[in-house]
Amino acid sequence: MKTVAGLLLLVAAALIQVTWASQLVVAGVFANLVLIAVIGLTWTQGVGAGLLWACAGGILLDLNAPGPLGPHSLALLAGAYATGFWARNLDRESPFHPAAAVAMSTILYSLVLIGTDDALGLPIPPFRTALQLTFAACLYNAVLMPPALTALRRVTGSLHWEQTAS
Amino acid sequence: METRARPRSTGRFLVLAAAMLGVAVLSQQSWAAGFRGTAKSALTPVEAQMMSLAATVERATAIFGDIASLRDQNQKLTAENQDLKRRLAELDAAAYDNNELRQALNFQRSFGHKTVVTQVVGRGPDAFSRTLQIDRGSDDGVQAGMIVVSGAGLVGRVRETGPHGAIVQTLADPQSRANVFLSGSGLQGTVIGGPGALQVQIQHRVGAAPAKGEWAITSGIGGGYPRGLVVGVVVNVTHSDAATVDAALVDWVNNPATLSLVIVVTDFLPS
Repeated sequence: MKTVAGLLLLVAAALIQVTWASQLVVAGVFANLVLIAVIGLTWTQGVGAGLLWACAGGILLDLNAPGPLGPHSLALLAGAYATGFWARNLDRESPFHPAAAVAMSTILYSLVLIGTDDALGLPIPPFRTALQLTFAACLYNAVLMPPALTALRRVTGSLHWEQTAS
Repeated sequence: METRARPRSTGRFLVLAAAMLGVAVLSQQSWAAGFRGTAKSALTPVEAQMMSLAATVERATAIFGDIASLRDQNQKLTAENQDLKRRLAELDAAAYDNNELRQALNFQRSFGHKTVVTQVVGRGPDAFSRTLQIDRGSDDGVQAGMIVVSGAGLVGRVRETGPHGAIVQTLADPQSRANVFLSGSGLQGTVIGGPGALQVQIQHRVGAAPAKGEWAITSGIGGGYPRGLVVGVVVNVTHSDAATVDAALVDWVNNPATLSLVIVVTDFLPS
């Protein structure tokens, strides 16, 4: 049940991200709903589950992106892993920490995505453009994270998902 | 508990990262292109449904008052305006072009090309690659490298194809490049994609200067795009005597966020 619900959540996030989210472009970026969902799942379910959801979410994004399958999963894995450290030792109820965690994860996500593309010989955006887009995406995702986490907690609460520390 | 959990999650992270890196390397191989294309086509029908649902919702919410009719009128007028602008740009270009050279390039203008009309069913998952997903693929004759246009002008190029879908790299993609000339001054330049307006690096030429309002039109140089496709209008020029090129911003005739139908030119492949 947990797996099905998680998969449905990620599929919905990925489909909305690649169809509707681009209608709300701010400063050249739009919401990375899969990253927000993965960080939210890591925050509520623990890093172990978050890493698996990161792989699944990444593959879904890779299916909609040019190039090989895998780079988005790697990028999301880095974000989920770092968030796991953050969530372990901090107040999970505070809205500030998840927002900051998703901002940091966005930076890691961008770095790993561009780094992987570069390593695989795929074209990468110019440094200044990448910096500008990453900064804007950090703010955008951070603003969306607290309400998204609240919604996710309601869903996971109604499904009786347990919160774990690891 | 904490000390055990940390190495366990680190181990899982390393294993999964190595696995995903392996998937990336394997799926990049040429022999895996068919599988990759098929996998990427799998979500196309669902995305097409979502896009049509979005259009339905938009229509339903616009039904109150005169919003819908005003929007329709506005869209029609905008489309007419874009068409007129394109024709004007093409006339400007025609005045500049040398007919013999055009014949030598064997380029048939606009409607002389074979085309496939496709629906936009999705967009790239992040801002680093401004791409579109379309609902036609290799089964419909669409191949990687083909040019994609709209009624207003150049959209981009097909980057990958699956049997029933393809990914188009738009001009707004930071990695996109297109050689253009300016309709008024005839100066040559290169359009570079970016998150805001497109940037153009214009080569200096004695006695000519780029100006606002000129149309940027594909020059055909380099063989990447056919000559004569409208890219956009110059909205800002930064001249520097010290530099070898002038910088300008071009307002692209297409908006990737609102494109719903595009046309793939199937009889032109980059040289």
